[in-house]
Amino acid sequence: MSRFSGVLQLTDLDDFITPSQECVKPVEIKKNTTSGTGSKIKIQEDGSYFQMEQDGSYQKLEKVEITLADCLACSGCITSAESVLVTQQSQDELLRVFDENKRFKFLGQIEDVKFIIVSVSIQPILSLAYKYNLTPNNCAAKLATYFKMLGADMVVDMKIAEDFALIEAEKEFIRRYRATESDGVKNQIPMLASSCPGWVCYAEKTHGSYILPYISSTKSPQQIMGSLIKQSVGRSKSVYHVTVMPCYDKKLEAARQDFFDNETQSRDVDCVITAIELEQMLQIANIPLEGLDNSEFSQPWLQNDTEDVVPNVQAHIGSGSGGYADYIFKSAARELFGEDCDNIEYKTLRNQDFREVILEKEGKILLRFAIANGFRNIQNLVQKLKRGKSQYHYVEVMACPSGCLNGGAQVRPREGISAKEMTQVLEKMYSELPVATPRENDSVMYLYDTWLGGQDSDKSNAVLHTEYHAVEKSFNALNIKW
Amino acid sequence: MAKLELIQTLKKDNGRVWNVSWHPKGDAFATCGEDRCIRIWAKDLLGKWSNKVVLTDGHKRTIRQISWSPCGNFLASASFDATTCIWDKQSGEFECNATLEGHENEVKSVAWSSSGQYLGTCSRDKSVWVWEVAEENEYECAAVLNAHTQDVKKIVWHPTQELLASASYDNTIKIFKEDNSCDDWVCCATLTGHDSTVWSLSFEGNGSRLASCSDDCTVKIWKEYTPGNPEGISTSDNNSVWKCVCTISGVHTRTVYDINWCPLSGLIATACGDNSIRIFKEDSDSGPNAPTFNLICNVEKAHNEDVNCVAWNPVVKDLLASCSDDGEIKLWNFVDS
Repeated sequence: MSRFSGVLQLTDLDDFITPSQECVKPVEIKKNTTSGTGSKIKIQEDGSYFQMEQDGSYQKLEKVEITLADCLACSGCITSAESVLVTQQSQDELLRVFDENKRFKFLGQIEDVKFIIVSVSIQPILSLAYKYNLTPNNCAAKLATYFKMLGADMVVDMKIAEDFALIEAEKEFIRRYRATESDGVKNQIPMLASSCPGWVCYAEKTHGSYILPYISSTKSPQQIMGSLIKQSVGRSKSVYHVTVMPCYDKKLEAARQDFFDNETQSRDVDCVITAIELEQMLQIANIPLEGLDNSEFSQPWLQNDTEDVVPNVQAHIGSGSGGYADYIFKSAARELFGEDCDNIEYKTLRNQDFREVILEKEGKILLRFAIANGFRNIQNLVQKLKRGKSQYHYVEVMACPSGCLNGGAQVRPREGISAKEMTQVLEKMYSELPVATPRENDSVMYLYDTWLGGQDSDKSNAVLHTEYHAVEKSFNALNIKW
Repeated sequence: MAKLELIQTLKKDNGRVWNVSWHPKGDAFATCGEDRCIRIWAKDLLGKWSNKVVLTDGHKRTIRQISWSPCGNFLASASFDATTCIWDKQSGEFECNATLEGHENEVKSVAWSSSGQYLGTCSRDKSVWVWEVAEENEYECAAVLNAHTQDVKKIVWHPTQELLASASYDNTIKIFKEDNSCDDWVCCATLTGHDSTVWSLSFEGNGSRLASCSDDCTVKIWKEYTPGNPEGISTSDNNSVWKCVCTISGVHTRTVYDINWCPLSGLIATACGDNSIRIFKEDSDSGPNAPTFNLICNVEKAHNEDVNCVAWNPVVKDLLASCSDDGEIKLWNFVDS
């Protein structure tokens, strides 16, 4: 059964886009320059194919291989992508890398040894804390121990990247708003959230140039983390970077060509592992997470990178998907209209997964934001946009109903509990966490100065932002069915 | 001996005709097909059925099905161009005033719920969508249901409740309803039994039974057993179960493409790939949990090619319309003598 979540494919949720077509990647035929006609192909007993050359010799034919990049560049299904992911980003692959690294260390092959860093995001921490009856901080600390047992050199909190993403998205929104209002620039507003790869992939495959200009160019926290780890730590070491995420679609995101560094020939995120896969790994290895010791989180991006800290997981106010709408709304209200709104109230519209919030002054609506989760709400939003009927300035779009806390690869609910009820438990846990304030994060400000050459510098725009690419629809006579 | 008397044959010579749909008042019907046009037919002054309106420009590819809203003011059309159009006469003439986009590819079927509040569509993309009719030509997507594993061929609504049934290439029938506890539509029943593609469905007039037809050359009758039913059929989660209580086999020699259960007479008509139209009548002596349906009329060569659709008139008893790959539309009168 497929495990993609969100708009790409869901298993336990009735809210997604299915793979639509059979794989349409054309078989590559290497033209034989000498032969005018077709050539003979002989099939061996083991099933391999040999082509007979004109001189009578045989040449083995290459099997056609489909890479993840092929899948992402195709307008057809994504089912093939899944089997590719199994080999590139599975728990088996992760364990293989850990074991291989241990062997290199043991054999003293220092040049082959990788420095393995695991970045942990908040949603899977809560999911596993729920599963193993731990507090979020304890769960984070025990996960750190588990990864170190496997062979990780460092385990880090992804919150720093979430803070970066919020600050960059907020600045981008204000830039877009002003460009629209004062310069009449088109296709800037509404700004649509970009951190959900299921949504981004769907928009690229299905709606191309209609929708892509509206999607925030700010990288998702996972990819900001990728840049931070590979650039700050990777300068001196060969780093293998693992992220722990709430959904499978994040694997697709990590595999995007945009996040591949040609210079080092490596991805910013080498392997994505999800809550449900971690649960399986723990079960297979028969390790009770709750019985492990606590370990600390590292902060390799700081000057004094030996200073480890006890995990102190924090939430961002608003949705459990990162709190984008909330943070940008409040910042924009203050920056654009001088309005402080500490408590903002969402109004539920058509269903619980479509909520909006308005900033109103003297009867005039200044800002209209929404949170749209799940495919049906994405549909309505996209159709409104296409018809020019959207009134929104910003929409936090996530492919999964209820957003990232209900990500497709979170741990399944306990017996007798519905997915909805479990999500409510996770939402409550999230709301009880201490609140992060991105602009007051000294590490972020330090990194803007030391790593990115200041806020709004060319480097920070290059490192913290990305691009999207419309996928051309390919039509193939073989796909037409009655 | 029961028979179908041919009243009239209509032909516009533009390729196969996929579907015929009666206006709820029964005095007009619409047809659609390969020529990407919708034709509306009504009786002329001489009492002959004739083509009154041709709607073009709505779709770029074959129109697979059309459906009149219960109020009779709107006509929905499902096309292989992946869109569904809603036509109405607000301006005096029929015009397409809304286009529903979202399906990835061919839309195979479209139907209005009995209240007129919802519209269902299904597609080769394996999904069933529920659209809520909002204000002013606005249709909001209320649900995208991916319960099927293959192409979904047909959807029909329950005659009185907001209950949607779908038939698929995955050999199953699924039933969907809105679940208030999760604020979304859910699949509340899966009906398995057919050995091949289920092509079409039709509820009995009171909605307590459902007839299905399939590529396995059979027709099946499914009966709803509600929670706490006197027969003691077990149900779970307060959902009804639908059990197959009758299978009609050995009658159709090819794929059965369409089935229509007449709410007025209780007769079931089928459209078959062997070019025949057949009429079945329930045996009044058979019990409710094991009914028998008898073939009472078999019109061989009703058309020259596959019969794609059969539709009983909702007002005039025993008036049946059919259409075929041969490009013809036929009107029949059922006589039971």
